[in-house]
Amino acid sequence: MLIKPVRRDFEAIGHNLGRVFTVVGVAGFAPAIWAVVSREWHPLSSFLLMIGVFLVLGQLGVRLPYRGEVDRLAWSHGMVVVALTWLLVPLIGAIPFMLSGHYASPLDSYFDAMSGLSTTGLSLVQDLDHLATSLNFWRHLLHFLGGQGIIIAALVLFAGRGNLTLYYGEAREEKILPSVKSTARFIWAVSLVHLVAGVAALGFVAWQVLGFSPTRSLFHGLMIFFAGFDTGGFTPQSTSIAYYHSAIFEATTAVLMIAGAMSFGVHFALWRRRARSVIENLETRTILSTLGLTMILTMAGLAATGVYSTVFGLGRQGMFQVVSAHSGTGFATVSSAELGSWGGLAFGGIVIAMALGGMGSSTAGGVKALRVGLTVRAIGNQIKQVLLAEGAVARTSYMQGSRKQLTPELAQSAMSVSLLYVALFGLGTGVALMYGYPLQTAIFESVSAGASVGLSAGITDVSMPALLKVTYIVQMWLGRLEFVAIFALFGFIISWLRGK
Amino acid sequence: MRSIVIALILLFSTAGAAFGVGDVTRVVDIINDSEGYAGAVIVEGELIGDYGRRSDGTVWTQLNDDPYVYAPTVLGNLGGANIGIGVRMPAALLEGLADPGGYRERGPVVRLEGIWKHHDPERGGESYLEVSKLTLLEPAIVLEENTDPIPAGIGIVLILIAIGLGVVRRRGDATG
Repeated sequence: MLIKPVRRDFEAIGHNLGRVFTVVGVAGFAPAIWAVVSREWHPLSSFLLMIGVFLVLGQLGVRLPYRGEVDRLAWSHGMVVVALTWLLVPLIGAIPFMLSGHYASPLDSYFDAMSGLSTTGLSLVQDLDHLATSLNFWRHLLHFLGGQGIIIAALVLFAGRGNLTLYYGEAREEKILPSVKSTARFIWAVSLVHLVAGVAALGFVAWQVLGFSPTRSLFHGLMIFFAGFDTGGFTPQSTSIAYYHSAIFEATTAVLMIAGAMSFGVHFALWRRRARSVIENLETRTILSTLGLTMILTMAGLAATGVYSTVFGLGRQGMFQVVSAHSGTGFATVSSAELGSWGGLAFGGIVIAMALGGMGSSTAGGVKALRVGLTVRAIGNQIKQVLLAEGAVARTSYMQGSRKQLTPELAQSAMSVSLLYVALFGLGTGVALMYGYPLQTAIFESVSAGASVGLSAGITDVSMPALLKVTYIVQMWLGRLEFVAIFALFGFIISWLRGK
Repeated sequence: MRSIVIALILLFSTAGAAFGVGDVTRVVDIINDSEGYAGAVIVEGELIGDYGRRSDGTVWTQLNDDPYVYAPTVLGNLGGANIGIGVRMPAALLEGLADPGGYRERGPVVRLEGIWKHHDPERGGESYLEVSKLTLLEPAIVLEENTDPIPAGIGIVLILIAIGLGVVRRRGDATG
């Protein structure tokens, strides 16, 4: 029997949503200050409105009584909070986009805000090259907030209310340190160290190698860091990373993309100089294998078509696109038109790389290396079982921090989520096919949206049908939260409507 | 001031249409058939973004050939995504030219003659225009912001309400 949620359930959800809105509202002051410094008064006006809406909703939320449940937030409540966060924050966060005059409709603004927060990187902005720098900063800050986790920020700031479900709801699977709060603090510490090092490296290359002015170097460094480390994919100029015309800049960006696709567990092991633990980790081995395989596929495909006449050209362009796709970033050094024309093995390599994604508990999207590794192990285990004598039981273990047993439940869970991703990719492909887009580009774009990548083969455009825009928004939402939180939200709504 | 800017833009759009004839190739065509346009081309558009002054004496920048060259978004015009290509030229060609376009300015509108390099093997497979001649068609213009104080006013009121709610809540917590 479905139990109808009572007032206390709504208060618990509202209270926690209020905490999250307050965090995002305070974060909104950063682009507002940027607008003041840059004397961009029109964007400043829209930032103030956005901050006001966030803070009022936040304060109204936290005023709701929640004292009876200080220690624990119910599992379903936490999941509902996370699902609603990813639905509502882009709605309010899209206000500056809507008022900027660079978007054709509120739907387009919402599309970009969802794309930013889900670290996808597909965009419907028009005339990006004339966009205010503060608005560009807000687009990229959305990547940072979404990638590092608004929930994580809320957990760090609101002490004493350790809400494990919020943490898991945000598609994070491992607690690195004993408490969620210390884990959240570690994640932000890693991010801030990378922020300083990444912006310094990119800014230095932009200034000394590309010959940009110091202030513009800093601007480009900051934007590309946010989008690279958070595996987002937005860029401040319309031609993506091709704008920079520099192999050194691309290599620096690739390092950040790889760092962003690594789980925070691996970051933790590297910080503690546990190299062996990283090498033995199932996720590390899986991602190195799949990265290598998709790279070979893509290179072989490109070599067969003879697109690039030198090994350096083939390696530089092919590798960058594969790393960008596999890490779920979505930066490109070739145009959408050209990417869409990559056929055969090159197309297959990029699409598979996008679908597989990065490591679990990272900012990357996609099926994730851990699930791929577990699925392969489980299949291998099944084959071994068939070959063994009757009555014998084949057992498999794997390394992830420590040695763990691969149980049938775990294998089933990994396979189920992987299948859900395949269905998600099928959904976007089907809707695009319905509107007459070619199969290859329909698959490409759908996988890109569902796996939070952001590479485009040319479909994502202002002129695409509204239903397709909505489909990609849903894919970005589902893909980023890895289904569970959204299923919990639907369950909550059904219980509310039909429960007793 | 805004009407002057609009008048200037309309004037220049007429001039732009007159300029955009002859052997000029549209950038969108180059993007859609990069290999087919490899070789000598003439393009027109706005220089935008940054001037990347490299140590070898060349400058990299971007040329946009899209509706915003003559009708910027700041005046409420929307015409789809930007359409641009990377261009490289000797630094001497840029002498006396204003900064490239951005939020506050429509950059210089130029005609560029040069060689379209499709996946240049000497530059790791990049595609770009190697410019040999630059002609200034229109100087850069300053774009005025169309500032709307109403959202700011509502926002400030909401922020004050939020602060008030926060203060009341804290006092309530303190008094228990």
